[in-house]
Amino acid sequence: MNDLELSVAQIVQKEIEITSRPFEKIAKELNLPEAQIIDIINYFCSEGLIRKFGAVLRHQKAGFNKNALVIWSVPELQINKIGEAFASLPFVSHCYERNPAFAGRYNLFTMVHSRDKDIRALVSSMSFLSGIGNFMILKSLQEYKKSSPEYF
Amino acid sequence: MDEIDKKILNILQKEFPLTAQPFLVVAEKCGISEEETLKRVQKMKDEGIIRRIGAVFDGAKLGRVSTLCAARVPEDKIDNFVKVVNAHKGVTHNYRRDHDYNIWFTVSAANADELAAFLNNLKEKTGVTDILDMRAVKTFKINASFDI
Repeated sequence: MNDLELSVAQIVQKEIEITSRPFEKIAKELNLPEAQIIDIINYFCSEGLIRKFGAVLRHQKAGFNKNALVIWSVPELQINKIGEAFASLPFVSHCYERNPAFAGRYNLFTMVHSRDKDIRALVSSMSFLSGIGNFMILKSLQEYKKSSPEYF
Repeated sequence: MDEIDKKILNILQKEFPLTAQPFLVVAEKCGISEEETLKRVQKMKDEGIIRRIGAVFDGAKLGRVSTLCAARVPEDKIDNFVKVVNAHKGVTHNYRRDHDYNIWFTVSAANADELAAFLNNLKEKTGVTDILDMRAVKTFKINASFDI
């Protein structure tokens, strides 16, 4: 990343203004043409450095008020198949294999979100789908921090 | 939130127009004016539904390391532990969960050494030593979008 790209990254990792021409604002700040700002962002997207550009929601306020970390004990040979199956479910936002496993056995981690359905019902459907009966639901009792990362 | 707000949110999350007047493009898709779109988006920002509009960078692609930690923290040490954890810039999520391992947080660091230094320092500063460090070895899904 060159200095120019870095200065754009430092701004857009935070936020753009809600205004008619948000990139013009950034352009003025950096003394560059507006089109170049957009080009740099597009370049970051095409390189995969930016995973997503757009609105990041507070899911609780957007109506997804039930969520839990659900962890699964999955045999190593099945982990790809089940990881991909869970990832395809719309109510699963994150799915990772982690090492070391929690409590020596829970190696697949999923975040499950729901608007109105009981989390337990969704988890039961995941258990049925995968054939994995050994899982743990870790409800959040309190949120201490939830923020967007700043890398630059 | 009415149907138009929901449509705006889905567009802003999934197909944000990277163009000079992004909200005009959103407005046209929703059949309302740019002015009304800006007003609605600002309102959802003020209400806290929208956390921010901007870039989500891929930490792994940038060569960073991240992990999920679970700590077993005695009740009387929780306040201080949470304070020290939250003060670290690389910590983005921190929750109390219903388990003996009661504090769960994610940390991102520039490299493995920085991460190890943070965890060592955390243990020293708080006296909490039972902290699990569970690295993601495979990412099947990481998706910050919600169908509204």
